[in-house]
Amino acid sequence: MIPLPGSRVITLLLAVLGLALAPLRAANKEINLFAWSEYFPQSVLEGFSKETGIRINYETFASGEEMLAKMLAGGTAYDLVQPPDYIAEALIKNRLLVPLDYTKLPGVKNILPEYLNMAHDPEQRYTLPYMVSTVGIVVNTERVKEPITGLVDLFSPRYAGRIVVVDDARELVTAALYVLGYPLNEINAKNLAEARPLLAQWMKRIKLYDSDSPKTALLNGDVDLGYVWGGEAARLWAENPKFAYVIPKEGAHQFVDVMAIPQGAKNIEAAHRFLEYLLRPEVSKAISDEFPYTNPNGAARQLLTPEQRANPASYPPGDRKFGTFRHLGETGAMIDELITDLKNAR
Amino acid sequence: MHALADTAPAHGGRRAGVVAWLLLAPLALWLLLFVVVPMAGLVVYSFCQRDDLGRVVYDFSWENYARVFDPIYLKILGRSIGYAALTTVICIVIGYPVAWYIARQRSPLRERLLLLVMIPFWTSFLIRTYAWIAILKSEGLLNGLLQFSGVVTAPLSLLYTPTAVVIGLVYAYLPFMILPIYGSAEKLDNALVEAAHDLGAGPIRAFSHVIIPLTWPGIAAGIMLVFVPAIGMFAITDLMGGAQVPLIGNVIQNQFFRARNAPFGAALGVVFTLLFILTYALAHRRRRATTA
Repeated sequence: MIPLPGSRVITLLLAVLGLALAPLRAANKEINLFAWSEYFPQSVLEGFSKETGIRINYETFASGEEMLAKMLAGGTAYDLVQPPDYIAEALIKNRLLVPLDYTKLPGVKNILPEYLNMAHDPEQRYTLPYMVSTVGIVVNTERVKEPITGLVDLFSPRYAGRIVVVDDARELVTAALYVLGYPLNEINAKNLAEARPLLAQWMKRIKLYDSDSPKTALLNGDVDLGYVWGGEAARLWAENPKFAYVIPKEGAHQFVDVMAIPQGAKNIEAAHRFLEYLLRPEVSKAISDEFPYTNPNGAARQLLTPEQRANPASYPPGDRKFGTFRHLGETGAMIDELITDLKNAR
Repeated sequence: MHALADTAPAHGGRRAGVVAWLLLAPLALWLLLFVVVPMAGLVVYSFCQRDDLGRVVYDFSWENYARVFDPIYLKILGRSIGYAALTTVICIVIGYPVAWYIARQRSPLRERLLLLVMIPFWTSFLIRTYAWIAILKSEGLLNGLLQFSGVVTAPLSLLYTPTAVVIGLVYAYLPFMILPIYGSAEKLDNALVEAAHDLGAGPIRAFSHVIIPLTWPGIAAGIMLVFVPAIGMFAITDLMGGAQVPLIGNVIQNQFFRARNAPFGAALGVVFTLLFILTYALAHRRRRATTA
């Protein structure tokens, strides 16, 4: 048998390994950015590096939960993270973010007032909005001739096997709560018990769950309807206006993806420079060109073409108010269990 | 390893032993760092709890294991085993004749055929899975071909079905069945098969009483290499199955990255690993029983 080395030896080995793998870092010469996949145009990252000489290491995640799990695991010292609003709220409550220094961020004046001081960061101390989006219904109007106005229409039996939805337990449960007439953040055992039979029916009719790229199945013609991120719907509409976007009449919410500096960041100075760069109207417009979510930057919106501003998925017409997700805590586990159970019951 | 163990005494004891351990050291270190340490961490996590952010709290609890044996998760585990078993059976049925055929060929052709089995590994697994999406989607290659040739009039719904998942699994794991069976079939002495025929065995009897037992080590290795990873596969169910029906790999992945419940994910992982060990032990006993 191999004599097992003591725990001190193991720690030492791990430390040596860690040293060997850690890249040589010069302070504020690079930024470890942890953000959603498909959200930063390469030109924007390169433009910043060319101008400032600061390198950006862009690491990606596919859900806010994944971001939180990897950030808390503490593998890399991230300098900038991009949580959705309700995850940012949890990070703020647990004192895991560094307050922003607004003397270095004069560009914040470009942000429209309705996207400042929101519920997740009421004093606007820790976060800056990056992009905003609703979650709504996409209809391939060439294949679906009947009018679709809400979630009950979408999940009706006639469309069984023709629907894609984002693979996100909370989004599904929220949709059911809207139909039942409950506020979107009132997640408790009673409401979930009421939502259960409704969701069980709906989920029998869903063909595909995909959060990463729900537009693909719609473009491929594998499904004709979807309950997807507004930004995905906007790209579909820009590709072919037969993909109509509908804000469900029962209710809809929006999410705000924000930028924030986590505790433990090593390059706070450089992170601020990048944030200020992102606030520039022409940079923010370049992001909208590639990823047509709702841009909270008013000065950037003015640079958009009339076609871009007419995209109903990026800028829903009318002046409806949208709710936002709040941090859930323990009840979040109930949602996951419910959806796992229902997926399993098929 | 066998060679080392056999020759060591001839060189006289201790020094060869040291050399043997030195040669083994990189492997042992690798196993220690990337198997033993993470597994130990998993076991510790599985008895912990989580706070509302999903951070692990080191308070002892059996709760996660109690939840593993909830009917929801047992059903998922059962289904995962079902999919993996079906995949394994299909791989044997397709893989055995292929492996046998390749093993019976003369040298240059044999190597070329083997190369064909291995060529898919030159491309990333995910890219090959996306290629299957392009084939199976309703406006994809297969439906185009079927409609062009008039076999069907409306496109078949192939992608995002359980069938698509099984196709994906069989495709991914078939080489792992063919290669070990080939290894056994190649070593099989044709004289033994001829002897069986001379002694009056028909083709079926020769196959079941001579060829199968002699190639069993290859089949057993193939089963281990296909069945075990197929249970835990999650990418194919997400991409080709449309994430409709969860398998145990999806559930475990979700616990870590979506539900933020690492302790429960760890408990599932531990139970799952114990199951692997059990499967291995059973297969090993079977093999020893047949070779003895």
